[in-house]
Amino acid sequence: MVIVQVIVGGLLLGAIYALFSSGLTLIWGMMNFINFAHGEFVMLGMYVALLTVTWVGGGPAVFVIAAALALFVLGVGIYLSLIRYVIRGPMLAQILSTFGLALLLRYSAFWIFSANFVSLPQTSLGGTLKLGGIFLPVAQLVAGAVAILLTLGLHLLLTRTTVGSKLLAVAEDRAAAMLMGIRPDRMQALAWGLAAGSAGIAGALMATAYPWSPSVGETFGLIAFVVVALGGFGSVLGSLYAGLIIGLIQAMSAFWLGAIYKDIVVYGLFVALLWLRPQGLMGKKG
Amino acid sequence: MLLEATNVAKVFGAFHAVAGADLAVEQGEIIGLIGPNGAGKSTFFNCLAGETTPTTGRILFDGKDVTYALPEVRARAGIGRTFQVPTAFEDMSVINNVMVGAFLRHPHRNDARDQARRIVELTGLRADQQARSLGTPGRKRLEIARVLATEPRLLLLDESLAGLTPTELRDAIALVRRIHDMGVTIVIVEHIMEVIMTLTKRVLVFNQGRVISSGTPEEVVRDDAVIEAYLGRAHRKRKEESR
Amino acid sequence: MSEYLTSRTAVCFLGAALLVYPLVFSGAFYLDIGVTFLLAAISASAWNIVGGYAGQVSVGHSMFFGVGAYTPLVVYTLWGWPPIAGIPLGIALSIGLAIVIGMPTFRLTGHYFSMATIAVAELIRIFFGTWDMVGAAIGLQGPAVARSFWDLTFRSELPYYYIFLGVLAILLATTAALERRRFGFYLRAIKASERAARSLGVPVRQTKMQALVLSAIFTSVAGSLYVIKTGFIDPDSAFGILISVQMVIVAALGGAGTLFGPLVGALILIPLQTATNSAFGGGGTGLTYILYGGIIVVIARFEPGGLFELWQRVAPYLRKRAHAA
Repeated sequence: MVIVQVIVGGLLLGAIYALFSSGLTLIWGMMNFINFAHGEFVMLGMYVALLTVTWVGGGPAVFVIAAALALFVLGVGIYLSLIRYVIRGPMLAQILSTFGLALLLRYSAFWIFSANFVSLPQTSLGGTLKLGGIFLPVAQLVAGAVAILLTLGLHLLLTRTTVGSKLLAVAEDRAAAMLMGIRPDRMQALAWGLAAGSAGIAGALMATAYPWSPSVGETFGLIAFVVVALGGFGSVLGSLYAGLIIGLIQAMSAFWLGAIYKDIVVYGLFVALLWLRPQGLMGKKG
Repeated sequence: MLLEATNVAKVFGAFHAVAGADLAVEQGEIIGLIGPNGAGKSTFFNCLAGETTPTTGRILFDGKDVTYALPEVRARAGIGRTFQVPTAFEDMSVINNVMVGAFLRHPHRNDARDQARRIVELTGLRADQQARSLGTPGRKRLEIARVLATEPRLLLLDESLAGLTPTELRDAIALVRRIHDMGVTIVIVEHIMEVIMTLTKRVLVFNQGRVISSGTPEEVVRDDAVIEAYLGRAHRKRKEESR
Repeated sequence: MSEYLTSRTAVCFLGAALLVYPLVFSGAFYLDIGVTFLLAAISASAWNIVGGYAGQVSVGHSMFFGVGAYTPLVVYTLWGWPPIAGIPLGIALSIGLAIVIGMPTFRLTGHYFSMATIAVAELIRIFFGTWDMVGAAIGLQGPAVARSFWDLTFRSELPYYYIFLGVLAILLATTAALERRRFGFYLRAIKASERAARSLGVPVRQTKMQALVLSAIFTSVAGSLYVIKTGFIDPDSAFGILISVQMVIVAALGGAGTLFGPLVGALILIPLQTATNSAFGGGGTGLTYILYGGIIVVIARFEPGGLFELWQRVAPYLRKRAHAA
C-alpha cells in the first residue's frame, strides 16, 4: 500500500512540475531561448503566496491569483527590459542574461527571506484525506489537480484560441506572422507573462503543500529542463506527460534508493535523454 | 559527371517542398536554377549544400555519395556554397575571414595567409578592413572570397548577386566569370535575369517542387510552361492568341 | 605597429608586476589576495577557451574544478600518496567528463550544452555528498604537516603564489599560441557563425570537443592547485554553482574570448569580492552574489564583450580628445 501512496504522491507533484515546465517549453518553442531563471519564478510564486497571506490574508484562491498576477507582470517586464535585447545577440549574452537573473533573484530572496525553510500557515486546504487505504494531504491533492487543469488549459489556449494561434504563428515563422499583422514583440511578451505566471501559480500551489526556501529555485529550474527535454521542446502537452513521469520517477527513486538520490536519478535521466533522444517524446529537435 | 542529383525530394509533413528533382552537372558548366518564390529551388539547393537532408533521392559528387554528408564534409570534398544573407565573421578582419576558408587546404598559418591574400586581391577587397564595417556588396564579395579560399570544384551561389547596383552587378558578374575561368563548376540560384542570361549556359526552372523546364536560357525563357509559372495562365493564353 | 609594441610592453609590465608583487606586498593578507587572484585568473582563463573563444557557454564548469580538487585528496586518503600525484588522475577524469557532455550536445544547439553543464555539475555535487569513499558531505583533508617536499604543504603562501603564477603563464602562453593557429581561427568562426563555419569545412563538432577538453584539463589543474593550497575539500567547495559563476563572471567582465580578459576581470573582481565579503559577511547569503548576478545581467544586456569591448569602443574617443588637448 505504501507504494501506491508513493506513486500518487509522485504524480501529484509531477503535475505541478508539468505546470511550471509548460511555461519553459512555451518560451523555447517560440524563441529558441532557454530561461535559466525559470525555477526562480516558481520560488518567487511561493513567496508571493506567503506575503499575500501575511499582509492581506485570504485563502488559496487569493494568494494563487496574487502569485499569478505578480509573476505575469514580472515575466512581461523581464522580456521588455532584457530578453528582447539579448535574443538577437551572441549566445553568451543570451545564456548569461537569465543565468545572471537567476542569481540576482535567488540571492536577493536569500537576503530578504533568509535561508530558512518556511511554509504557509494552515489554509482551508489543511488536513488529510483517507482514500482507499492511502493518506493524501488535501493540499497536495488540490494542488496537483489544479495544476493538471491549468496545464491542459494552457495547451487549449495555445491550440484553440485566436491568441494561441497568434503565439504559435510567431513560434513557427516570425516573418510570416509579421506579414499577417501579428506583432511578434507583443506575442513574445505575452508568452513570457504566461510562462512566468504559470510558474508563479505552480509555486503558490506548491506552497500550500510543501515547505520551501530560496534554494528550491535551483532545483526546480533543473527539473524544468528535464521535463522539457523529456516532453519535447515546444510541446505543452509533452511537458504534461513528462512532468507526471518525472514526478513519478523522482518519487520511486526516493522510495527505493533513498531521498538523497531522487535528484541524481532525474539529472542522470537528462543526460541520458541528450544522448538518446534529445527531441523528447513530442518535440522538434533543437 | 561532377554532380549527379537523382529524384531528390524534400517533404515537410504533408508539404512537398521538392517533389522529385534531377540535376546532372558536368565539370566546367555554369548552371542556373530559377523559379518563382516557394518553387522549391532553395530547398533543392540546400539539399545539394548539405544544409537539409532530402527525404528521398541521391546526390553523388564525383562518384561519391554525399546525400547525407554534413556541410563540412562536403566542403572538404570540394563543394562550396554562399549564403543568401551574407554571414561574415563580424569580429574578424577581411583577411582573417578568408583565412578560415583557406585553412581547409592549408593547415599552416603562413600558407593560409598567403592563399587568403591572393584571393582578397582577386576579389578586390581590403585585407585589413573589419568585416562588420563592410556594406552589402562588400559582404557578398567577402562571402565569395571566403568560400573560394576552400578551393571548391563546385561552387553553389545562393542569390549572391541580389541587391547590387548596376555597376556592382557588372563587377560581380565579371568576378563569377573569372572564377569559372579558373576551372570552378558553378550552380547559381538567381532571380536576376541578366545574371542568368549572361552567365549560365543551362537553366533549370522550378515550380511547385518540380523541374518544369530545362535548356539554354533562351529556350527556357520562351517555354510556355515557364511563362505560365511566372506570369500565370492568362499570359500564356494571351501569347497563344497573339500567334 | 605602435599598438603592437604598446601591448607587448603592457604585457611585459604586467608580467613583471605579478612577479614582484609578493615581494612588495609581503603581508599574509596581500599574499592571500594574490593567490586567490591567480587561482581565479587560471580558472577563468581555462573557461575562456571553450566559453569565450568557442562561444560554448558552460555554466557548470565547477565539475572539472571539483574533480581536479578531489583526486589529490582521494589518492592521499586512500593510498597515502602526495596529493600532486592525483593531478593526472583528475585530468583524465575531467577529459572523460568533457566527452560525456560534449558528444551528445555539440551536435545540437548551444543551449543544450549549457543546460547539460549545469545539470551534470549538480548531479556530481549531490552524488559526492553521498559517496563515503570521498568523505560524503564532510569531505576530505590533506596532509596537515608535510611528510616530504612533495606534499607541497607550505606554511607561507609564497611558494603557492609562484607555482600558480607559473601555471597561469603556461595557460596563457598555450592560449596565445592556439589563438594564432588554425584552431584559434576555427574557434572564433564557430562562435561567430557555426553555419558559415561548417560551409567552409570547419569540423565543428571535433573543434568544440577539443576546446572543451583543453578547457577541462586546465580547469581540473586549477582545482588541484586550489586543494593543494587549502588542504581541504567538500562537495560544495568543489562543485558548487558559485565556483562556476565566478569563472564565468571573471572572464565575461574582462572580455570573454580575449587573451587577457579573464586576468582583467580577476583584477577587478577579486579585490571587490574580498571587500564586500568582509563588509557584509561572506558566504552564500551575502551581498556578493546579488552583486554578481546584477553584473552578469548588465554585461549580457549592454556589453557582452566585457570591458575589453567597452574599451575598444571608447578608446578612439579618448584618443581624439587627447590629441585635441
